[in-house]
Amino acid sequence: MRPSFFHHLHPPTIPAPQARFRYTLGAGGISVYLVLVVIATGILEMFYYVPTPEGAAESVQTIAYLVPYGWLVRNLHYWGAQALIAAVSVHLVRVVMTGGYAPPRRLNYLVGIGLLLLCLFLDFTGYVLRWDQGVRWALVTGTNLITTIPLVGAGLYGFVMGGDQPGPATVVRFYAWHVFGLTLLLVGMGVWHLFRIRRDGGISVAPPVARVDPSRISRSELVRREVFAALIATAVLILLSIAFPAPIAAPIREGEAISGDARAPWFFLWVQQLLRWGDPFFLGVAVPAGLLLLITLLPYLLPGPRPVELGRWFPPSSRAAQIALGVVGAAILALTLLSLLFNNSSP
Amino acid sequence: MGSQRSDPPPVQRRDFLQLALRGLLALSGVLGLAGILRYFSYRPGPAKPTRFELGPSSEYPPGSRTVVPEAGAILIRGPDSFHALSLTCPHLGCTVEPTSSGFSCPCHGSRFGPDGAVLRGPALEPLRALRVEPGEDGQLVLFTD
Amino acid sequence: MSTRSLLTAAALLLASLFGVIWYEYRRPEPVALSPTLTGEEEYCVACHADLPEISAAHPVETFGCVICHGGERLALDADLAHSTMRGDRNPSDFSVVQASCGGSECHSGSPEEGRDHIHRVLTSVQTTYAGAIAQIRFTYGAQPDLTARMGVSAVQDDMITTTTGLPSLEAFVPDAESSPSVVAFAENCLNCHLSAEPLPGEPYARLTGCAACHTPAASADLDRPIHRLTTAIPYTQCNTCHNRGNYDLRDMRFHPREDQPGNRLQDYYQPIAQFVRCEWTLDCIDCHTRREAMGDGDLHSSKQEIQYVQCRTCHGTLEELPLTKTITDPEDLAFRMAFLNPVIDLQVGDTVIVTEQGEPLWNTRRLPDGTFELFGKATGQRLTFRPVKGTACQQKIDEQESRYCHACHAVER
Repeated sequence: MRPSFFHHLHPPTIPAPQARFRYTLGAGGISVYLVLVVIATGILEMFYYVPTPEGAAESVQTIAYLVPYGWLVRNLHYWGAQALIAAVSVHLVRVVMTGGYAPPRRLNYLVGIGLLLLCLFLDFTGYVLRWDQGVRWALVTGTNLITTIPLVGAGLYGFVMGGDQPGPATVVRFYAWHVFGLTLLLVGMGVWHLFRIRRDGGISVAPPVARVDPSRISRSELVRREVFAALIATAVLILLSIAFPAPIAAPIREGEAISGDARAPWFFLWVQQLLRWGDPFFLGVAVPAGLLLLITLLPYLLPGPRPVELGRWFPPSSRAAQIALGVVGAAILALTLLSLLFNNSSP
Repeated sequence: MGSQRSDPPPVQRRDFLQLALRGLLALSGVLGLAGILRYFSYRPGPAKPTRFELGPSSEYPPGSRTVVPEAGAILIRGPDSFHALSLTCPHLGCTVEPTSSGFSCPCHGSRFGPDGAVLRGPALEPLRALRVEPGEDGQLVLFTD
Repeated sequence: MSTRSLLTAAALLLASLFGVIWYEYRRPEPVALSPTLTGEEEYCVACHADLPEISAAHPVETFGCVICHGGERLALDADLAHSTMRGDRNPSDFSVVQASCGGSECHSGSPEEGRDHIHRVLTSVQTTYAGAIAQIRFTYGAQPDLTARMGVSAVQDDMITTTTGLPSLEAFVPDAESSPSVVAFAENCLNCHLSAEPLPGEPYARLTGCAACHTPAASADLDRPIHRLTTAIPYTQCNTCHNRGNYDLRDMRFHPREDQPGNRLQDYYQPIAQFVRCEWTLDCIDCHTRREAMGDGDLHSSKQEIQYVQCRTCHGTLEELPLTKTITDPEDLAFRMAFLNPVIDLQVGDTVIVTEQGEPLWNTRRLPDGTFELFGKATGQRLTFRPVKGTACQQKIDEQESRYCHACHAVER
């Protein structure tokens, strides 16, 4: 068949080593697909979700139990979002461990970090929009962390929350950010990220003279592989959605006793663990921000890979950067495990 | 084997696979679309009430015409029976106002007689007649369905 | 990427879509109920359609389920739906009764409208246990007289209408008691007030709160109580606490009765009791009025202060006929009681017996020949009786306690 618009978004051919699953793990590509899934399911949910404190949790229950296939839309949105966080994390690790951040790709690496942040904030704001007892503590503590920031803390809190405590304005603001503000930024930066990939010469690979395998694959073959991955990913998400419903709890109601899980969402468990040990600003804001800064500046601080070593995992010349990321990753993992094992405080 | 040009070529395996692939994808697409349409079909909330208790008939003397705002209707007691008219204009749904000579709609100027008949358009149909029945203990019940 | 792999992937996707359809049809059908009192849809009946109507006074089309039980009205998942239910299976437990049964139009309204049930029961001796606590503490020197100072929980009464009413009771705290007998009392003898869980075993099986009396237990399986509220309370319900045995002050223990009753007569009271025929033919509530059973709204120190009905209330004395009242108001309390428990078809113009405190015995009616008929509230049985005046009864006018009537009229077991 004649190549379509979608085919033409890809280069006519790309080096075969770039496209190997064992090289990229398909993590970036899957992230793009998952963004499409969460946007589509999110739009569907917008037809029923009510962004007020009284209506929010009940509208989520309506979607989950009463709307035909509402459970599927909601669970797909939830699992798609969690899979997205996992996928972009794997993609980050892959990029650093294969040296894909080396010039001319340093700008795109920064754009990617921005995308990671957007994904985390999207996941957090979406989580809060449930407005039920399961998110109450995360909402309170997560947003109170803002107030610990010196100088701008109080003002920033007011900006984020729309008041001096979680209330009706908070729901509307988080909804506006989640559905529009952050999504617009995500799509815009995402398109930029994809454009930069082509501008920078595609997925990083050794220069032609150093390449072991000189073969190339056509854009139709590339698209076929992407379709395959999309089909498998969709089937997996659907099966997850059938087997494991998205979490839901009793609504937050004014004047009622506070109950519920005091655990942070899984991607912030490591921060919650840090917060158990001391000063909230230092441990909850400064340390995570510092780790983020370290990862962001990796391409600038530590030596990158030599061009001939590109195209494979763990190029020797960028070992320092790999170890640095490994240490940060291991620390976050360890903190997460600690949080789960020793402080399992669900009522 | 000798190929005869007049016979259609046998279906190649790869074409069959292509066809099967497109068939499966099309079927998945149709199922997905059907699911999305069902998703949008949900109607939230309880239906508006269609049954209104009006109290004992002694509260409505003969000859009286009483507006029942919560039902959007007017209760008329004739010499020996009760009947009711809907105050919703059959044109585009505004609420008509009772006048000395019947009813008048403020939106596009329709006029109705005291029994709901159309005197002047743009409405084409009269005001809808509603059922009034005696309920338990002689209380009146108005039905708007 | 071969077509075969894509075909496999597409087949997997299609299979998962069939899984979706299968799952969707497996879910419980969302059946909605829109109670007129709330106007909001509830989906409890999607799973609980076979639950019987709880009472004629609480029709489900009017009340729904959530207004009394709490819970998540939209959830079709059992755990979420039940997570915010009040009092688990018993929303009338006193810890949540105000939220479940209260409201000025319901059961925490004004005494004049007869809607102050919750206040009356929370101050009643059967809930505060003030009498038993005061008796024991007085006996063992923990307090100087029999006036109650403590109840099972702290309670206050701002409106005192009787001469023996108390303004408040503190909470009884066993750890603060110095007498070992009082402490033993707290350990062994506090199973029979309305917020206490009963002793294990079928004879004691009842719920707590309002349901302790108003929900008759079909069996000892309190995990599956019947979904019913009734005012037709049989004597067996009262006997989950009363007539179960005796407390012994010497060893401060409860000694359950050990007889094996074979009929109603033997089952009703303990073997040591003495009683007349109506005391075992009728049910407790046929004589013991609303004020006696549920309290009059005041805190009292003992049940003697609240029990006042005697044989003469229905039968009169040699000199006086029983007090009666002819009902003229269709809104009379007697009609409301008769509606709740239709053993008698009361009409305006009927004459019923009233007690010395003005409570109507709505299940009675004077007949044209001056005798009376009575319909058992729990059995529906019709009985007739004569007033004492004009008979050969040999009572003394100033000896009107029931023990004097027992002297001639008592029944042998």
